[in-house]
Amino acid sequence: MMLQSIRKYETFVDRSNPITKIGLAAVLFLTVVLIHNPNYLFHLSLLLLLAMIILSGVKLRYLAALIAVMLLLGSISSLYMIFYGEGTTTLYSFGIIHITEESFVRGIHVMMRGLAVSFFGALIIFTTRITDVFYSLMQQLSLKPKYAYSFMAAVRMVPIIISEYVVLRQARKVRRALIHKKYVTGMKGFKTTIITLLSQSIRRAYRLGIAMESKGFDDGPRTYYHRTSFSISDIYLLLFIGACIFMSFQLGQIITPFETTDAR
Amino acid sequence: MASRKGLTLTDVLITVVIALVFAIIYSIWGGVYTMLQPLGLHLNELVYGMWFIAAVVAYLIIRKPGVAIIAEFAAASGETIVMLQFDVMLMLYGLLQGLACEIVFAIVRYKSTALMVAVTAGVAAALSTLPLDWYYGYLGQLETWNLVLMIGFRVLSGALIAGWLAHALYRGLGETGVLKLVGARSPHRSEEL
Repeated sequence: MMLQSIRKYETFVDRSNPITKIGLAAVLFLTVVLIHNPNYLFHLSLLLLLAMIILSGVKLRYLAALIAVMLLLGSISSLYMIFYGEGTTTLYSFGIIHITEESFVRGIHVMMRGLAVSFFGALIIFTTRITDVFYSLMQQLSLKPKYAYSFMAAVRMVPIIISEYVVLRQARKVRRALIHKKYVTGMKGFKTTIITLLSQSIRRAYRLGIAMESKGFDDGPRTYYHRTSFSISDIYLLLFIGACIFMSFQLGQIITPFETTDAR
Repeated sequence: MASRKGLTLTDVLITVVIALVFAIIYSIWGGVYTMLQPLGLHLNELVYGMWFIAAVVAYLIIRKPGVAIIAEFAAASGETIVMLQFDVMLMLYGLLQGLACEIVFAIVRYKSTALMVAVTAGVAAALSTLPLDWYYGYLGQLETWNLVLMIGFRVLSGALIAGWLAHALYRGLGETGVLKLVGARSPHRSEEL
């Protein structure tokens, strides 16, 4: 797999069950939404950043590029609040833009929420195989096989869909003199592209689906060659994330980069 | 098998594949959305409706209970796979938007393919995630004119992209003849391949 080539080592996160990781990601998301003190959130996102760097085992230059992109996207997505949020202490005002101290801190707070969740999300992506997610969903949470297998089969079709798109574009380029421009660019071009891709994919999925049904990839009890289970690594990960949240609450009271304790 | 009522593996597979085609578009769309963000004035909300389109298109094609939720959830999780970034928030949003569409389709009992149904589903999906955004992005602390603008743009976008555009795609797909494979499931379907 492509991701494995940019990694140097494996950690206990690789060995923990995908369900634990997804569950913890959901818990983390809820925690982040409930935190209103930017100081707590600052330390939590910092700790999760460190966790991503150390536990993912990904080479540093790739991580650096990823973090740069995350920071850029995060700051762009907080602009709406910085520019148009309510507040009393004006820092800067130009036309309809009205930056206040309150809205600035709130914007940074929203950005840190996104970053904290993304850091842990990236850690999960680097340490989890997609097929394992479905195997453990079937084995530990008894998801019906027809959902799991159709998802796994569909994921394998994504490269085909992408190559089909490339071929479609090349075909249009070759016939450029014959096709009116409005069928290539703009709304019409968009529609014809999507319809072509969708219809081909539906045909392919239909054939594959019939084949898989006749091979018995349907409901009913089955046995598995790949087995997934919970292990001690899941407890390590649980304790680790718990410790991160606890530490951020403790550190947030000692080291306070923000003056306010409530971003609202 | 041809007349089975619930979702067969083929139904699910077709739904998920449709969702993944849109997952690729969603990922590209993320760039469009981000580029519009610095312009301010919530112009980015005008393209937001694209993120509900998978549920509406999948429903129009298959018209069975559960398809809208599966499609939107698969598209959202597919987007996290394509973007190589696991995002619980995205999946939660997908689930909520799919659920909102599903409720609209349940009201018409999975029968109608009218344009109005698609538009209503798009609007419902646009409204469904506002409560979450309210808490996550502190929308209550935005200046009022700005908040109204944002909600208005999002609903408009849901109606236009997830409603009207989805319906247009559905009609286009009908012309390709591919819908014969999924819709009624006729007994002589092997001839239609």
